This record gives sequence, C-alpha cells and structure tokens, in this order.
Amino acid sequence: MTDKILLLPIIIPLLGGLLALLTPKKSGALKEGISLIAVLLNLVVTFSLFKSNLYYALPWVGFGLEFSLRLYHFSAFIISASAFFGFLIMFYSVVFMRGKQFLNQFYAYFLITLAFINGAVLADNLVIMLFFWEGSLAALFGLIAIGGKGAFKTATKAFIILGITDLCMMFGIALTGQLAGTLTISNINLPLNLLGSLAFILLMVGAISKAGSMPFHSWIPDAAVDSPLPFMAFMPAALEKLLGIYLLTRISLDLFKLNPHTWISIMLMTIGSITIILAVMMALIQKDYKKLLSYHAISQVGYMILGIGTALPVGIIGGLFHMVNNALYKSCLFLTGGAVEKEAGSTDLAKLGGLRKNMPITFVCFAVAALAISGVPPFNGFFSKELIYDGALERGWIFYLAAIVGSFLTAASFLKLGHAAFLGKISDENKNVKEAPLAMLLPMIVIALTCIIFGVFNILPIKNFIQPILGEARLGGHNFYGLPTNIFLVVVTLIVLAAALLNHLFGVKRYGSGLKAVDHIHYAPGLSWIYNKAEGRFFDPYEIGLNLVNVISRVGYGIDRGIDWIYDKFTVNLTLALTGGIRKLHTGNFSVYLAWSLLGMFFVILFLLRSI
Amino acid sequence: MYSALILKPFFCVLIMNMFLKGWAKKTALWVALLLSVAQIIFAIFPETYHQSSFIYVISNFFKFDLAADNITRVLLLCIGIVFFVTIILAKQMIKDDDRRFNFINLLLIIVSGLNGVVLVTDIFSLYVFLEIVAVGSFVLIAFNKEMLALEGAFKYIILSSVASIMMLTAIALLLLVSGSTSFSAISASLLYSTYNPLIMIAMITFICGLFIKAGLMPFHGWLPDAYTAAPGPVSVLLAGVVTKTVGVYTLMRIVISVFGLYLPIQKILMFVGASSIIFAALAALGQTDFKRMLSFSSISQVGYIVLGLGCGTTLGIAGALFHLFNHTIFKSLLFVNAATVEAQAGTRDMQKLGGLSAKMPITGFSSVLASLSAAGIPPLAGFWSKLIIVIALWLSGNYIYAIIAVMGSVLTLAYFLSLQRMVFFGKLREDLMNIKEGGLGFMIPTVLLAVITVGAGLAFPYLLNTFILPVSSIFGG
Amino acid sequence: MFLNIIILVALVLASLWTVMTRSLLRSGIGLALTSVILAIIMFRLASPLAAVFELSVCAGLISVLFVSVISLTQPYSQKEIIERMKLMLVRFRLLPFIILGLGLILLLIKVNFDLILPIPETERNVRNLLWNFRQLDLFGQIIILLAGAFAVVILFKEMRKNVR
Repeated sequence: MTDKILLLPIIIPLLGGLLALLTPKKSGALKEGISLIAVLLNLVVTFSLFKSNLYYALPWVGFGLEFSLRLYHFSAFIISASAFFGFLIMFYSVVFMRGKQFLNQFYAYFLITLAFINGAVLADNLVIMLFFWEGSLAALFGLIAIGGKGAFKTATKAFIILGITDLCMMFGIALTGQLAGTLTISNINLPLNLLGSLAFILLMVGAISKAGSMPFHSWIPDAAVDSPLPFMAFMPAALEKLLGIYLLTRISLDLFKLNPHTWISIMLMTIGSITIILAVMMALIQKDYKKLLSYHAISQVGYMILGIGTALPVGIIGGLFHMVNNALYKSCLFLTGGAVEKEAGSTDLAKLGGLRKNMPITFVCFAVAALAISGVPPFNGFFSKELIYDGALERGWIFYLAAIVGSFLTAASFLKLGHAAFLGKISDENKNVKEAPLAMLLPMIVIALTCIIFGVFNILPIKNFIQPILGEARLGGHNFYGLPTNIFLVVVTLIVLAAALLNHLFGVKRYGSGLKAVDHIHYAPGLSWIYNKAEGRFFDPYEIGLNLVNVISRVGYGIDRGIDWIYDKFTVNLTLALTGGIRKLHTGNFSVYLAWSLLGMFFVILFLLRSI
Repeated sequence: MYSALILKPFFCVLIMNMFLKGWAKKTALWVALLLSVAQIIFAIFPETYHQSSFIYVISNFFKFDLAADNITRVLLLCIGIVFFVTIILAKQMIKDDDRRFNFINLLLIIVSGLNGVVLVTDIFSLYVFLEIVAVGSFVLIAFNKEMLALEGAFKYIILSSVASIMMLTAIALLLLVSGSTSFSAISASLLYSTYNPLIMIAMITFICGLFIKAGLMPFHGWLPDAYTAAPGPVSVLLAGVVTKTVGVYTLMRIVISVFGLYLPIQKILMFVGASSIIFAALAALGQTDFKRMLSFSSISQVGYIVLGLGCGTTLGIAGALFHLFNHTIFKSLLFVNAATVEAQAGTRDMQKLGGLSAKMPITGFSSVLASLSAAGIPPLAGFWSKLIIVIALWLSGNYIYAIIAVMGSVLTLAYFLSLQRMVFFGKLREDLMNIKEGGLGFMIPTVLLAVITVGAGLAFPYLLNTFILPVSSIFGG
Repeated sequence: MFLNIIILVALVLASLWTVMTRSLLRSGIGLALTSVILAIIMFRLASPLAAVFELSVCAGLISVLFVSVISLTQPYSQKEIIERMKLMLVRFRLLPFIILGLGLILLLIKVNFDLILPIPETERNVRNLLWNFRQLDLFGQIIILLAGAFAVVILFKEMRKNVR
C-alpha cells in the first residue's frame, strides 16, 4: 500500500494540470487555486517521502517493460527540489501571469511538466523514463508556443533540437537494453567498451541537451525572448538542469562505470569547458536582461558537466552541488528579471537603469544571486565552483583554466548587468516604477536566502543530499563540506574576481556606462568578427542544420521534379497506352475471345508438361 | 436436410406453374423473397432447421449425396443475400407481371442450381449443376432481347460450352483413372499416381474450364459483354454470385479438396490471378461505360481470390474466401448503384454523367464505400481480405506477387476514383438537373449491402476468429 | 484401330461440314450425320445403350425438329450466302495451320502417359445405377429441361407477342 504513494508525485500535478485545462476561462482564480493546491500537495508529498526508500512495480505490457518507480535518496532529492521550485515559481506566476493569454494552457503545461519530470526521475525502467521524458518535451513545446508572436517558431526549434537528441537517447536506450539484457535502471552496470561508449554517448546527448549544454543550446536564448518568463525560471533554469544532470549523473555513476581513465571523461570535460567559455562570451555582450541570463543558463551547465566529467568524487560532488546552486540562483535571477519586466515594462538594458531605489528588495535578491553565480564567498556558488576547480585542476590545467576564465567573464557580465539595470541614473519613464507585489517577492526572497544558507552552511546540502549519492565507497571517507581545503584555488578565485571588478571599473571609466562596460572585449580585434557572426546565428547548429536542409531540399526538389515527371507523365502515358492497347484487343468478336481462351489453355498445359 | 436448399426453389417453380399460375403471377415475388430470407437464416444459423418439418420428409425421399462445411455456409450466405437483392431490384425494374413471373422462375432455377453447385460431392453432379446455372444465365442475360444482350448471351453460350467440353473431357479422364466420380474417390485415387502427365492434364483442363467460367484473363472474353448487356438485376446476380460460385468457389473446392495442391498448378493459379489483377485493372481504367468498368473490375478482383488460393497456405485460402465474400457484397452494391443510375439518368455512359452525388446522396455515398472497400482502404471489409492475401503471399515467399497485389490495389483505386469523379462528383450536368434518388426498390439493397460492407470491416477481428480461420482449418487439414 | 481412326476422321469432317456449309438445312443434316457417326463410335466402344439414345434423340428427334423449323424460315439469297462464305473463309484461314502447329508442338513434347488404371467395374443395371447412384444428376437434368422450357417461353413466345 505504501508503495503506491510513489504514484502521487506523478498523479497530483497531472490531475491538477488536466483540471486547470478544463476550468472555464472566466472562472477567475479557480485555475490558480487548483494549480497552487496541486503544487503544494506535490511539495508536501515529496518532502514527506524524503529519506524513504520505496519501490513500486506494476506489470505492464511485458517484454521486460514494467512500470517500475524507485525512490531513493537521489531521486527523492531531485523531486523534492523540483517540487520546491515548482511551488515557488507557481506562486510567482499567479501574479506575474495575471491578465495574460492562454492561462489555462500555461498552468496545465506547467503542472504536466512537473508530473512528467517527477515521472522521469522516479522511473526505474529506461523505457518508462523515456516516456515521461518525451512527455515533458511535448509540454515544453506547449509552454513556449503560448508565448505569443514568434513563439511558435521558437517552440518548433526547441522541439526539433530536443526531438533529435531524444531520438539519440532512444537509440541509446535500445542499445543499453540490448547490452545489459534488461531495461531496469537499477540492474544495469555496464563497462565502457566500444558499444558501451556508444550507448553512453547516445544517452549523454539526451541528458546534456536537456540540461541545455552546447551544441544543443540554441533554442534557449530564443525562448528567453519569446516565452513567458516563469517558464524560463522554471524549465531551463531549474527543472531541465535538474533532470538533465540527474540523468548524466545516473549514467555516469550507475549505468556505466565512468572513471578518469576513459576518453569519455575527457570528452565530457571538453564539452563542459567549451560550453562554459562560449556561452559566457555570448552572455557578456547581450543587451537584454533575459537573454543575458539565458546564456548564463547555458554556461553554468558547462560547470556541471565539467565537474561530473572529471569522474573524481570531488568533481562530481561539485557538479551536483553546482546543479542545486545554479537552479537556485538562476531561477532567482530570472524571477528578478520577471519583476523588472512586469514593473518597468521592458527587459532591454538600454532602457533600464537606476532601479535600485525603486525596487530595493528585488535589487538585493538580484545582488545575492549575482554574487552567488559569480562565485563570491560566502555564497553557495563559491563553494561548488571551488570543488569543481579542484577536480578540474587534478585532471588537467587546461580545464581549470577554462573554468577560471569562465568565472572571470561571468563576474564581468553580472557586474555589467547589475550596473546597467539597477545602478546608474534612472530614466524618466521609469521614475514611477514600484516594487513588485509581495507574491512575486516572496519566492525571490526565499530563494535568495537559500543561496546564502547553502553557502554558509554548505554542510547541510552536501552532507545530507549530495554525498549519499556517491555512497561511502566512492567517497573513501572524505568529506567535502566546510571551507575549501585548497588555499591556492581560493586565492586564484579571489584574484580573478578582483580582476573582473577592475575590468568593469575600467570599462565604465572608458565608456561611461555600465551597459558598455565590456565593449572593449566585445570589439576587441578578432573577437568582434566572431561576435558578429554569432549574433547572426552563424554558429547556431540549428540554423546550420536548416541551411543544410535547404540545400538538400533544393537537390531533392530537382530529383522530385524527375520523379514527378515519372508519376505525372510517364506512368500516366504508359497506363493510357496499355489501357488503349488492351481496349483494342477487345474487338467484341467472340472467335477472338475463344482463341484467347484456347491459347491460354494451350500455354497452361505446355507449362504444366514442362514443369512435371 | 441440405437437399431442401435445392428442392425448395425447384418445387416452388413447379407448383407455381402447374397449379397456381393465376395466383402466383402476383405472389411469386413474395414466395421468392421468403425463400431468400430462409436461405440467409439457414446459412447463418444452420441449427435452426427443424427436422420434423414437411420439407424434411420430402428431402429424405431423395437420396442426394450432399455435404456442407463452413465454406459452403459462406457461399450459401452470399447466394441468399444476392438472391434477396436481385428480387427486390426485379420488383423495381421489371414492371410487367408476366415477365416478372418468368424472371422469378428462372431466378429460382438458378438459385437451385447454385445451391447444388455449392453442396454436391460428385464431380459429374457438379458439372450438371454448373450447366443448370449456365442455361439459366444465358436466358436471363438475353432477357430484354436487345441486340447487345443477345450478343452477350451468345458469347457466354459459346465460351461456356467450350468450358463444358473441357470439364467433361477432364471428368472422363478422371473417371478413367479412379473409376468413380465422387470427390472422395477421385482424391483417394489421385494419391496413387501423383504427377502423372495425363492426370495433370485432366486437372488443368478442368481448371481451365473453370477459368472460363470465372472469367479470368485471358479466359474472360465473354464476361464484359455479358455483364454489360444484361439487365440490372441480372448483372447483380451474375457478378455477385453466379461467376463467383460457378467459377471461383468450384475452383477452390476442386483444387483443395479433390486435386490437392500441386506446385505447378499453384504457379499457374498465381500467374493467372496476377495477370487478371493487372490487365483487367488496366482495361477498367480506360472504360467509359459504368457497367463495363465494373465488369473489368470484377475480373481484377477475382484475380485476387485466385492469387490467394494459389498461394496455398491456410492464411491465403482464408483471405481468398473472405475476399470472395467481400467481393460479392461490394460488387453487388456497385452493380445495384449502376442499375440505379441507369434507371434514373437513362444512360450508363460515364461521360454523359456527373455530379450525381448532389441529387442521389445515398447512391453516391454507398458507391464511394463500395469503391473504397474494393480498393482496400481501411477499415472497410475489402482492406482486411486484401491484407490477408498480401500477407499470405509475403509469408509464403511470393514477394513479386505480393507487390503485384499491392500495385493492383493502387490501380483499383485509380479507376474507381475516375469512376466516382465522372459519375458522382464534379459538376451536375444541365440535362440531369431533375434527376431524383432511386425508388425504395433500389434503396433497400443499397443500404443493406453498404451496411454489410462497413459492418464486415468493423467486425473484422470477430469474423476472422469465428468465421474465416475455422474455414481454412477445414481446408488446410 | 485403323477403322477407329477412319471413323474419327469422318466425325471431324462431318462436324466441319455442319459448321461450314452454306445453308442451314444442310447444316441440320450435317448435325444428324455427326450424331450417327458418334453413335457408331459408341457401339464400337461397347455401350449400346448410349448409342441408341444418341441415335434416337440427337440424330432422330432433334434433327427432325431442326429441319422442320428451318423449313419455316426464309433463307438468305445466293449472293448473301456467297459473301458470308467468303467472310468465313477469311476468318478461319489460319485455323488449319494453328491446329497443325499446336499438334506438332504437342508431338514434340514427349509425354509419358503410363497410368495404373483400376479394373473396370462390371456392368450394372442401368436403371438401378441411374436411380440409386445418379439421382442427383437425373434431377439436375430435369431442372435443365425446365430452364430450357423457360428459355423458349421467354425468348420466343414473348417475341411473338411483341411481333403481334
């Protein structure tokens, strides 16, 4: 009986979503009420399930496909976290979304996403996981598509990119099932031989694309502009990271035996490093609040992948801790972005500025989150980054370098963002901007406080949530909470942060504005060309793919004409000729028909005699 | 008790003509209708037959050697349904009492013959009953005594008599070998001398005779003329059951339970079936006469049945049988539609028709249903039977024939679409503005057959398990 | 054996004459002749009953019927007959060659007809055989006759009504 409780985290949001979809449009606060109750119940259930180990299996279609769910410390942690974010962001959305279009659909997709993500996390069968995984993709499509003009195109883009990567994952699952002989996740433990590596890579593609890593990232900045803002805080910032990194961790730790000696590990670290650098470079030059954040959402994934890719306990713990921290401060940042958008009516940095006085609480929350993401002690980001640096340095200085450069640029870009949005002179039209409503402030405050708590008392999350994931055997008695042990790294970090600050001050002095503080990097010789190309989506794999498809379709068109000719002209004429011929043969003369019959019989007998 | 099926129509004819002629002229129709309903009920629920009845006593007087299994039931059902439809059409289309009385008499004789063909267990008796059906059909084709009808009947007589000669020759040879003409004796004696050239020739001669009767390419010469020239109800009867029973059912029965399946014969069957499918479909594509197109389509569909039969596997035979049933239904429906259109518009020339759907919605819609079923569009009945046949061909390794069957389906769709476009869709012609939907006598058969087409498609899983597959087990075993 | 072949050739010739001759009357007579030759073959094959039936029904009854009906019709004029004759010759000019060719092909394929035949049954009483074993066939024949009667009614009697 108690096992069946595992179905609740899936059923509650799903039911809530369907109810929200069905409520009449003019029912006032009913759908908000339903949605809030659903997320609250979800929160209660997941929290109450925390620390318990449960397994629930329902015989399904057979062929080794049983509907099995497993709750243990890792999945419990992830679903609790997603329930936490879900609750806060729903709370925020109720105010933020008021008066917008497609509210029913928004709440429905929101809750359904939550249900599917819970399902995917809990699933103990690869196929069941895939089912929920794809389901969340469909809901994602819906969530972006309701954003308004141009959103549909972005939604399609996201759908195609993620659809292709999910397809890879599907193959990966098939291959894994073939190799392991079972689809039950907890029973799989494969070596990374040739086929195993292939399966790993296919699964990894699915996982990191969900998390938003390069080169599967390009829909995120577009979605940041087009889709409803709570979606950004909810999906790319928090839940997708949780889900993607969860899967990456599962396949690295449980499904496959990833260790530092495999090339897979190097590959993961490379992907991570490249993602950190490139995405943060793009973030640096953005002139839009949300878009800047969205590039950071990509960049931070790089740290997590880098951390897990080190395949060292310290790196993995760092990566996972970073996942939690990132979900916290990134969603907080997006929420502040939402508050600014709601109150000031724009997220264009050129139109903002000086909001510090008008929106003090928002500014404080932003400051906390920005400091955390930049890795300033004693906020949580600092500790997780230190752990990742530690791991990266052990595996190779180049990865460490990438991470530290990323850190520098992150700090620089947030100095720019903060300066442009909240400091400086306020514009005339923003004079009357007020602080955001309490319902929107509360989630920000809660998250910002959590950032501080997880930083100062990092023993709390690391000891309780993250270290159990690796297990005592892997940890080897080490503990990773508390203050960083490697003084060298701390010193370097502090130097880098100071450099970022100096850089910012230099930029401000030179160009006279916070917004343009990094223009000397933007227009640096060599870099500006690349930036221009990148702004023109020259490097977007999706666009490249589209162009490729265009070329292929041109060629296909030519072939198609030919085939068309075969269908339209050749076949028709041939048929007409045959038909005409056959008609001519039917003269209506019975002796001709008789002759046919007799000849037919003659040949039949001839054939028979030959074949005996 | 099966003899009643043969005796009842015959005695009805006798009694009506000898004693009750004046009275029967009006009521013959209803008597025949009653008989057809009785046959349908018997075919579906054979256990309803009361053994204590008067008819039973009479039946026992005659010592007929008859047998029935599930496949006969399918055929009896087909005969019953088409019989019913034909009578209702006749009521609508033949107004003169005398002529209608004669028509009904001949119809009863043909039904008696058809039931005989289905039920007999002796190859010579089979021949005799085939002749009954043939003679009845000659007369019915020429029923209106138009020039074309007489020509069609004449062609049918000539080719049919050639077929009779072939079959008689074969029967003589088989009698020589086995000393008896009953199915069981022949099949038993054939086991002793397999692959003897003379016996093989006898078999194939008999089968060629049946090819002519069934109208397969290139033995089909009589068929388009006869179908086209015959009056409406007769076309339905001919296309629906006569050629199917006389040609196709007999072929199935003879090949499977008497001769047994030999590889060369299977090859011939499949080749003839495939050539019928393709060439008849191509020929149908170029026709402008409504009924003539339908008759070529009939040849093509019979090709499918023979192809499935030639495949020789249980599944193939089941598919062939199911397609036989489906074809009876949808082709009868199409011929009923053709009769309706001809009666209402006064022409069968498709180039002079167009846009009739607007004025004749039931006819238009039912003909679309029947066409789609014939072309094998799910979920209509024709799809399932064709699917089974194609699967059977594929499983038995006859990939080329499977592909031909699928191609044939495309061609079927092509000519039926052109038919629909020319007759029922498009713009209504000026001179057809006042056209009306056909009378009740057209609509009852139309709706009945359309419902069966759709119902058989939807209830396919049920039919397959309870009706079709058990049939094939009788054969396969 | 030799005699058999002569009779068979005569049969073929008689039937050809029946089909190809100019006037319907001669055609009817040719039919009777064919039936007579067929009856001779049946006698030689030791089935006198069948031969007697053939002689009395086909050669006798049906020929008389044909001749009497034909004498009622109006024959074609001489010119028409000659034209039809020419047409027929044109139409069937290839027939002999085709038959010869087909025969040759069949001759070339050496077919081995070795059969194990069952021992022929001793002759049974015909009446007994017909009633006890071939009842169904007899019945069928009756139905065919009936159908024939209806054919006459429908195709000829009604035609006369129309003519009138």
